[in-house]
Amino acid sequence: MAGVLLLALPWAIEVFALRHTEARLRNELKQVRHRIEQVGVSSFLQTQEQDQRLHYDLLQDEYIDLRRGRLAEAGPDTLATLPRRRQGELVDFRVLRSSFVHEGQPYTLEIGKSMASVEDVYGLLRGFAAYALLFAVLTTLLIELSVISYLLRPFGQIVARLRAVQGPTPPPLPPLRTGTSDFQYLDATIQQMLQKIRTVFEQEREFIANASHELLTPISILQNRFENMLQAEILPEDAETQLVFSQKTLHRLTATLRTLLLISRIENEQFARPDRVNVRELLTDVLEELEDRILDLDLTATLTLDGEPVMQPANRTLLFTLFFNLISNAIKYNHRGGSIHITGTASAGQALGYTLSIRNTGKVIAPEKLPHLFERFRRFADDRAVEGYGLGLAVVRSVAQFHAIHIDATSSEADGTTFTLQLPTIPAQEVLKAPTA
Amino acid sequence: MNVLIVEDDRALARELALYLQHERYLCDFARTGREASEKLYVNEYDFVLLDLGLPDQDGLQLLAQARQERNQQASIIILSARGSVDDRINGLKLGADDYLPKPYSLMELESRMQAITRRKHGVQQDTLQFGPFTLNLSDRTLRHNQDLVSLTRKEFDLLHYLLLHRGRVLTRLQLSEHIWGNMISDSDDHDSNFIDVHVKNIRKKMAPHDAHDWIETVRGVGYRIKLDTEA
Repeated sequence: MAGVLLLALPWAIEVFALRHTEARLRNELKQVRHRIEQVGVSSFLQTQEQDQRLHYDLLQDEYIDLRRGRLAEAGPDTLATLPRRRQGELVDFRVLRSSFVHEGQPYTLEIGKSMASVEDVYGLLRGFAAYALLFAVLTTLLIELSVISYLLRPFGQIVARLRAVQGPTPPPLPPLRTGTSDFQYLDATIQQMLQKIRTVFEQEREFIANASHELLTPISILQNRFENMLQAEILPEDAETQLVFSQKTLHRLTATLRTLLLISRIENEQFARPDRVNVRELLTDVLEELEDRILDLDLTATLTLDGEPVMQPANRTLLFTLFFNLISNAIKYNHRGGSIHITGTASAGQALGYTLSIRNTGKVIAPEKLPHLFERFRRFADDRAVEGYGLGLAVVRSVAQFHAIHIDATSSEADGTTFTLQLPTIPAQEVLKAPTA
Repeated sequence: MNVLIVEDDRALARELALYLQHERYLCDFARTGREASEKLYVNEYDFVLLDLGLPDQDGLQLLAQARQERNQQASIIILSARGSVDDRINGLKLGADDYLPKPYSLMELESRMQAITRRKHGVQQDTLQFGPFTLNLSDRTLRHNQDLVSLTRKEFDLLHYLLLHRGRVLTRLQLSEHIWGNMISDSDDHDSNFIDVHVKNIRKKMAPHDAHDWIETVRGVGYRIKLDTEA
């Protein structure tokens, strides 16, 4: 709108200035004619030479010229821009020419106004218009901005409320104070959705607690009963063997249930991250825990880390489980005399971040299986020899997500199987400041 | 020794009592928080085995309350199926002596109770003797007379657990649960079978020192420490 106005304005002003001049010329013509009617023609009649004109103002911007005789081409009143001599030079004048008959004699009357003066007016007008326009545009802009920001204030409040949401269970908020029904609707919908998420989380939490109690209590009874029966030592050998077998089955059930509950609890954000974890110490602990299995398979295990990667905030117990499961897999799926290499380097070009890779020799995992490696209960049909890929890696994934660790697996005949983890470590300077817990 | 079993499930309480009575503990029962606090007020116990999910009260509340009781010197072990994250931390903070998540092994419970008793009465028994061998708990070593028999951490734990329950048969599962805890989440036989590897290695390490095989294989069940022929 303003743009169109801006483009059209100079033209409009020009036309307006010209019209204004013409109106004045006509008006003056009328006055001169009136005067001739009153006092006669003689006082106006030119006596001078052809090109001399009577100027009636000091700056000679205007003139009146009355001549006897009719101009050949003259019809009724004509308006034109014509060159006229003024003080020895030709200047463009806007000229109104009129023919009339006075006392039987034809006369031609010319009234002129110099184009320079017309343009002065034009320039003046243009300058004024430019300022007015600028003022109008700025005012409009300011008004628009304040109106928009006033109108959108509820929207800003909604965004601020969403930003403030921490975790899955935000407290309910009072409805937003706004007259705009769309915003009311938006706010109400968001609040409803947040409440729904909150409810679902609480339901899941409750379900986990109930499932734990309702399932683990009968399992406890069975387990204790089996133990008591074995303790009695009055059973025939055959029954004892059966009992041990049942105990194993029950243990399998317990382990699966525990793991599922663990995964659910992690995903339900029921764990805190209160620890500062030195990754080297943690890995050393895990390797020590698995020492016998490594020895048993004559495996070579190496731990080569750059610097002292430290993670905070973290949950040490969960991270222990993560590395335990990964390394115990690296042992389980290895071959006798194979190797496990754990290497870590600070991620290049970044102040934060640490790349840790756990590489083991052994059976290659087919490429099409790699994407499903971390899924629950994903176990590969041809892996008859060693069972139990089941939930261990699903736990690994949950713990990794919980700590914002990115994890990736590759496998090839040449390099074996490698799990690569991107650990969000804290900068070395901060590690020096505070001692590790 | 007097034990108060605070457990709302009758069957579970009965199994627990059966085992403990066999081990010569005297058992008393409470099925609600109210009942428990009354009994704690009146009687003196050596142990309180506390389930957290009581019908009328949170077990942690009862724990805090029991710790306020001046005359109550009982050691408290939390046995919980809730498995909530904070239960263990809060329980120990409130003064529980130990925490076992359900389902637990009765033998594990008993060995924890023994450990608490030893700690409490200052009879810090540093060594366990069997035949010519000495298991030293403070520096975690096994010696034959003066010769050091080098064991890995897990081998030491396994031998220690067998000795704590000497004369009794321990299944591979009970042994595995003791030395690995809940770490092994994968439901496979790999881990309990690994007990055989441990036992084989321990035997191999002990054999050069003493011809007698101290660890007896109980076919189809598990292992036990053979008692001294003299004892």
